[in-house]
Amino acid sequence: MRLSAIGVRNVLRNRFRTVLTALGVAVAILAFVMLRTILSAWTAAVDHAAKDRVGTRHKVSMILPLPGRYVAEVEQIPGVEKAAPASWFGAKDPKHEQEFFATIAVEADSFLSVYDEVKVAPDAREAWMQNRRGALVGDVLAKKLGWKVGDRVTLQGTIYPGDWEFEISGIYTATRRSIDRSTFWFHYDYLNEWLKDRTPAQADQVGWIVSRIDDPSQAAAISKRIDQHFDSRDVQTLSMSERALNTSFLGMISAILSALDIVSVVILLIMTLILGNTIAMGVRERTNEYGVLRAIGFLPKHLALFVLGESIAIGAIGGLLGVLAAYPLIEQGLGRFLEENMGGFFPYVRIPPTTIGVAFGLALLLGALAAGFPAYRASKLDIVDSLRKVG
Amino acid sequence: MSTAEAQSAEASSAPPPATATKQPLIECDKVSKTYYRGKEPVQVLKELDLTIETGAFEALMGPSGSGKSTLLNLIAGLDKPSSGTLRVADADLGSMSEGQRAHWRAQNIGFVFQTYNLMPVLSAVENVELPLLLTKLPSAERRKRAQTALRVVGLEERMNHLPRELSGGQEQRVTIARAIVTDPRLIVADEPTGDLDRENADEILNLLVKLNEEFGKTIIMVTHDPAAAERASRVRRLDKGALI
Repeated sequence: MRLSAIGVRNVLRNRFRTVLTALGVAVAILAFVMLRTILSAWTAAVDHAAKDRVGTRHKVSMILPLPGRYVAEVEQIPGVEKAAPASWFGAKDPKHEQEFFATIAVEADSFLSVYDEVKVAPDAREAWMQNRRGALVGDVLAKKLGWKVGDRVTLQGTIYPGDWEFEISGIYTATRRSIDRSTFWFHYDYLNEWLKDRTPAQADQVGWIVSRIDDPSQAAAISKRIDQHFDSRDVQTLSMSERALNTSFLGMISAILSALDIVSVVILLIMTLILGNTIAMGVRERTNEYGVLRAIGFLPKHLALFVLGESIAIGAIGGLLGVLAAYPLIEQGLGRFLEENMGGFFPYVRIPPTTIGVAFGLALLLGALAAGFPAYRASKLDIVDSLRKVG
Repeated sequence: MSTAEAQSAEASSAPPPATATKQPLIECDKVSKTYYRGKEPVQVLKELDLTIETGAFEALMGPSGSGKSTLLNLIAGLDKPSSGTLRVADADLGSMSEGQRAHWRAQNIGFVFQTYNLMPVLSAVENVELPLLLTKLPSAERRKRAQTALRVVGLEERMNHLPRELSGGQEQRVTIARAIVTDPRLIVADEPTGDLDRENADEILNLLVKLNEEFGKTIIMVTHDPAAAERASRVRRLDKGALI
């Protein structure tokens, strides 16, 4: 038997209490991992953004359009290899009213050139090019809504009202995580012709422009060059790397992200208090026993180590349970649900290995922290008073 | 004779000789102890003079509040006198720090309390081994000595049992084994039979007599029980903080 074993053995003293406390720690760790994973998935678009792409939008606001002629001009800026326009469409499938997915109008050729991580079968690619009403949909979205190549789909426009008929030309996957696999891409011309008929003032405009650049290290300089080019125009631009562009998207929901961040910390604080309370109860119940240990020669530091060892052991058990439960519950359960139903926001939900490491490390650290005050009290027990409590 | 030697001594049929030295082990010179109840001082021991020789088995008796447990705590180094000089096992306890006294207690004092206070998650032999964890003895040697101590108290058959699997008398015998495992010079027993029935109490007292007579251990026992006090070689009485 070793000194260090005593603290760990104390874990078994009140098994029911230990099990409940360890489960409490496990639930807290599970919640922490879940929130951190959601945060990570939400910011995945930023983390996985392509380094060789630059986005250009209206200087005043993201929701204001740019003149369509800017696309050709951007392509002439030194450093830009190819520029692709895109416009947010906004539509829903009347058969799946509750399902949200992004619908974006693009120029097929420039889109596939700039977004080279989009993987689509050559015949499907050709079919999309040839079909004005053709659409390219992500495999996750297609699976969720039961769409297959050749299906005719009618969407209801939310920004551009009316029924919009499409034909699924192809289903794409992605070779990198920099693109969402739940998006509905269709031809810009289809939208633009409709605008020319109904609201000509809105025609020949694009939502934003994404450019492939020749040197990722020059992203900032090229962005500056683009903006300087349009500096004297009525409509000025704001260009930035794709990462910065995605970050600016996230900026709109930064309050939610901050709240999740805070909640994940609060959960761990609650866990620490629960664990601390359990350990403090144990110390209080063992006052007489600790008095005996002090009498037979154990030092205050020994008692503190026993308390610390017990708390860290419970933290480790709870942390391990929480982490083990996280994989099936988050990756197979919640993660799959989010990918299938909210792929636009959560294209890739996986628990980052660092989150697991941090969660388990925090379970141990907070276990030690929870034992701080009870360990201090145990080390400060007066021997005579402790022995008198029962004897 | 040490408990470590007990196993070989028990193996031979000849009874070991009792220690017969008459050196003083405990010397109290005008020892006083004052506690404070709020701001009000309460003098529990009043300039007490006492000498106890090595190898003695003495009982301390007296009414509640007479100061006998306080005197026992001072002798055992659990507390410090407010004034006076207290020497036990060649140490001036009044001048030692808490850390020094803890180290001294581990080497010189064996404790037997009324409530057994065994660690419920440790087996009998592990409980007995506890004080040896503070030494540098190798693990195998610690375990061997703990087993020997349990053999001395007649519990070798129950060494792997948890405290909840033992009777009250057996638990108290485990605490006695824990008290002697470090081969201390002095055993202090505070109401060692207080929670036991007569039969078990007699067994514990027989064991204490055996430790005194056969192993030469000096024993100071606080008790309210006259039958227990009779087993000691000398009975001292305290009242209102003074020996009478």
